[in-house]
Amino acid sequence: MKVSLDWLSDFVDLDGLEPDRIADRLTMCTAEVESWHRIKRAVHGIVVGEIIEVEPVAQTGDTLLRKTQVDCGNRRFVTVCGAANCRVGLKSAFAPPGVHLADGQPVEVVELAGHRSEGILCSAKELGWSRWHEGIVELPDHLATGTPLAELIPEEDILLEIDNKSLTHRPDLWGHYAFARELAAIFRRPLRPLPLADLSQFDSLPPVDLVVEDLENCPCYGCLAITVRAGQPSPLVIQRRLHALGQRTFNLMVDLTNYVMGEIAQPMHAFDGDLVREIRVAPLGRHGQFVTLDGQTRELLPEDLLIWDGKKPVALAGVMGGLETEVRPETKRILLESANFKASRIRRTSVRLDLRTESAQRYEKSQPPVNVKIGVARLVQLLQEATSDFQVTSRFTVGGDLAERDRPLELAPGTLEKLAGTSIPLEEAVAILERLGFRAEVFADGRLQVGIPPFRSSKDISIPADIVEEVLRIYGYDNIPAKMPTFPLRPLRRNDQLRLEHRARRLLAAGHGFCEVQTYAWMDDRLLGQLGFEPKNCMVVRNPIAQHSRLLRTTLIPNLLGLVERNRANREEFRLFEIGKVYRLASGGACDERTSLGGISFSTAERRDIQQHFLSVKGALQDLGKLFGGEPLRFRKLVQGQAPWQLADRCLQILQGDRVLGEMGVLEGEIVEAVAPGGGQIVWFELCLDNFLGIIWPAPRYVMPPEFPGSRQDFSLLWNPAEGFAALEAELDQFQHPLILRREFLYVFTGRGLPEGKASYSFRYWIGLADRTITSEDIEGFRQAFLRFLGSRQIILR
Amino acid sequence: MEPWQEIRNELQAALGSAKRLDEVEQIRVRFLGRKGKITLLAKETGFSRLTPEDRRHWGSQLNSLKRWAEESIEQALAEARAREAARAAEASRARLDVTLPGIERRVGSLHPISLVQMELEDIFQGMGFMVLTGYEVETEYYNFDALNIPPDHPARDMQDTFWLDNGMILRTHTSANQVRALEEFGAPLRAIFPGRCFRYEAMDASHENTFYQLEGLLVDRDISVANLIAVMKALLGEVFHREVKVRLRPGFFPFVEPGFELDQQCPFCDGVGCSVCKQSGWIELIPCGLVHPKVLEYGRVDPTQFTGFAFGMGLTRLAMLKFGIPDIRLFNSGDLRFCEQFPVVL
Repeated sequence: MKVSLDWLSDFVDLDGLEPDRIADRLTMCTAEVESWHRIKRAVHGIVVGEIIEVEPVAQTGDTLLRKTQVDCGNRRFVTVCGAANCRVGLKSAFAPPGVHLADGQPVEVVELAGHRSEGILCSAKELGWSRWHEGIVELPDHLATGTPLAELIPEEDILLEIDNKSLTHRPDLWGHYAFARELAAIFRRPLRPLPLADLSQFDSLPPVDLVVEDLENCPCYGCLAITVRAGQPSPLVIQRRLHALGQRTFNLMVDLTNYVMGEIAQPMHAFDGDLVREIRVAPLGRHGQFVTLDGQTRELLPEDLLIWDGKKPVALAGVMGGLETEVRPETKRILLESANFKASRIRRTSVRLDLRTESAQRYEKSQPPVNVKIGVARLVQLLQEATSDFQVTSRFTVGGDLAERDRPLELAPGTLEKLAGTSIPLEEAVAILERLGFRAEVFADGRLQVGIPPFRSSKDISIPADIVEEVLRIYGYDNIPAKMPTFPLRPLRRNDQLRLEHRARRLLAAGHGFCEVQTYAWMDDRLLGQLGFEPKNCMVVRNPIAQHSRLLRTTLIPNLLGLVERNRANREEFRLFEIGKVYRLASGGACDERTSLGGISFSTAERRDIQQHFLSVKGALQDLGKLFGGEPLRFRKLVQGQAPWQLADRCLQILQGDRVLGEMGVLEGEIVEAVAPGGGQIVWFELCLDNFLGIIWPAPRYVMPPEFPGSRQDFSLLWNPAEGFAALEAELDQFQHPLILRREFLYVFTGRGLPEGKASYSFRYWIGLADRTITSEDIEGFRQAFLRFLGSRQIILR
Repeated sequence: MEPWQEIRNELQAALGSAKRLDEVEQIRVRFLGRKGKITLLAKETGFSRLTPEDRRHWGSQLNSLKRWAEESIEQALAEARAREAARAAEASRARLDVTLPGIERRVGSLHPISLVQMELEDIFQGMGFMVLTGYEVETEYYNFDALNIPPDHPARDMQDTFWLDNGMILRTHTSANQVRALEEFGAPLRAIFPGRCFRYEAMDASHENTFYQLEGLLVDRDISVANLIAVMKALLGEVFHREVKVRLRPGFFPFVEPGFELDQQCPFCDGVGCSVCKQSGWIELIPCGLVHPKVLEYGRVDPTQFTGFAFGMGLTRLAMLKFGIPDIRLFNSGDLRFCEQFPVVL
């Protein structure tokens, strides 16, 4: 939203206020000013010129060059002009040779199409009004030829750029008058009233035939019939200000509707009064098409709200008028619309059609119905100032409720002080509210009675806290001293789940060299295809950012595997993990959302031993298990995997007690090619982190070291590695002896010198007694018992 | 030549050519050992057969020879030892170069979001805030309705929010936890809600559809704007390790009233103006405000008894500021050249 200080100064005296200060105070009290800049218009030496003779001389492309005689009062110039609107009788801005245009270039005498051209008729762009360059400017007839532009238009203006996001809750701030009111309140300067025509003078005239069929979406509709030369140029003040906002100017009536919108945010529309004689407001009711005045054919839905003239739609309500009934240069009769539409209706239509007009933008902010009337009164006032040659031919006709009254709101004694946290005199609060256009009255008991003006009650002001905000923002938040709240001391409820996640993060990173990553909450269908993974019970995104990212992840593994390709170019080996949510559609349509920990370890190092690689990841998980509290993790071979990365015999289920926490495994065969073309070792794991409390209470108990010396007995056993360590361990678990304190696995040896199909597994038994030092007889007894056990199991001692 | 003179010459020559400690040691044995030349010479000399005069002469000569030999060998030993020590020191220097760089264990890294989140959790827990996490897949009710966001608000559009097949959404802000927490714990309440949020948004260097926020909520009796300012100042002071200047300006969010944008004086230029603050001297950091009475009502807390404030920090944005990360898309890239740069903090 652009705000012109030139425009504001109609209503509030800004003398002595630097633009920086205005921008800063508005930002701090009202809405964020993103920047401001100065407009510099070309005025010096430029005069009002009347075109008195036009003679076509050459056609170049679409442009018809005309030799044009321009009367500038005391002198005539001959210029060659290519503007389409160059016509006899038009008054425009003429820059004689020697003067400088807005871009700083001097006007020179040139030869065009073989004709001498002295000076130029100027476009809005050449005058520095705006970027519009289609045609020369059209000035009102009553201006005397030869009048210097410097007498008609100020050379400078300051434009503030307001962040639209900070205006979403303030329908009023989409017009200049509200900004004038804000500045008047902020700088304690008087606000001049908005000059309005008295519409009751037309009450004796016949009404417009108006029916509002959809009061839900059109709470109020007002119209007025006017006879006027609608196509004449609008006053210079209106033109320059509309241009300053970056808008084009067209003709008196269209410019006036836009000007009123720029002033009070009320969108208005002028229909050709010869074509539109009655008004009906109703939804389309069926699918259909409508040509808007930009010439585009729009596809409409039954619920789209339209303005109808009898049987035919003439405007897409609140968004854009129709092409057929637009105001043309020759239009003599106008039917003026000033209406109020429901924000959501307008927004849905304009968003769907991608037709974000100035009008739609304002209606989307919930404009107050009272502006239906104020808009018409303001437009008639401006029309009176522009020309005496017009006639209102109907009374101001309204359907629906104008909602003109203030809405009362009462603040209990002390409300302001309580919410502010500092004491603010009520008289000061009342003064601020009054400057902002509220009625405010303090009762003896300290109650504050406020009347919310209609222009603020359509959206943002409804509860006492809103009033507090109005007072505080003008009072100045900087004037509120910071004050720490005080609370009774009480223990803080800890989030043990989150602490566990953080501990898992630290352990994997600091203890095992894993790098934490984050991936998106959805999976990539293309990668799932490569993996051959068809996830079940997925949550599906209805409006995904891309068609291949519809499925929310049910596991972290695919996304992590997707990172192998990304990183292998830079790393020979890496380990990464993610802690994040996985989602499943639960029965009953709810979402089962869990915290998952997934990781992969990748290596292309040639000498990396896959056994060692796998065990290093398994060891990290065993370590991790110690964080969970309770029993150590158990691993069980998974015979039948669910997902393509869960390969038979290459995948372990991870359990604590009987509870399955997750899986780990290693990739082999085709899937390696899918994940890492070019190969490499990939070990993966995934665990559910939910519902672990960690070791909190009771704490693990201290165990006394043995009081009497014991002994260590080492044995190396031959075993077929194809049967697996776990099977050997299960055998050894069967050996019971009173001296055993614990058994420790040392290492496995697979080198030369062993019998075919065997590996050597070394164990250490720690033996001892609680009540005395063991003797060599005790040790010998233990050894014999163990050897007998081995014999009974056909396990050979190496 | 007298025999002692002969031995003297011989010893001198031997010591002259001996360099190593063990060579000198051998010489000592050869001359002064039990069967050494000097020892033998003394034994072989038949003192009883000598005249008293000769006895004195031989005796004194032998003593003098022995003393001289002992001293010479001792000195040679000392020199050899010194040489040996010097050699050992040199050998040791070649073996151990203490100036080589230390060998680090291969340590991994934490994601920058985790680092910032853990730091903020610590700060807030220090101020008595609970840390709660909610759901990423959220209902429309908690994400919008219960936050006083009107049914036709643009934020609910498919253009802004990810909608799921079952009618739920990916939460667009951690504010969705406010009413859940009020329902569960009631008032008074002090809690923060860190977590992942999602918005349907075209991506560029400063826009992501997946990002982290940290929402805070404090509800108690007589909580005011003045309290909000004080707590935010204290918080930012901890985050940026300095006294910070903040300012409040109007901001609009349906679930707070009054609503603010809290700006902090730029910690990188102290308000002078730099590229981080786009020369303004301020950075827009925390949208906040007093909790809207309707939100308290949705949370079954009586707004006539309790007031509160809520604030939302962009954890992703804070991480970008803290670590100087120029492109928001790096966070979810899984690129280790990015992720590896953030050391584990235990």
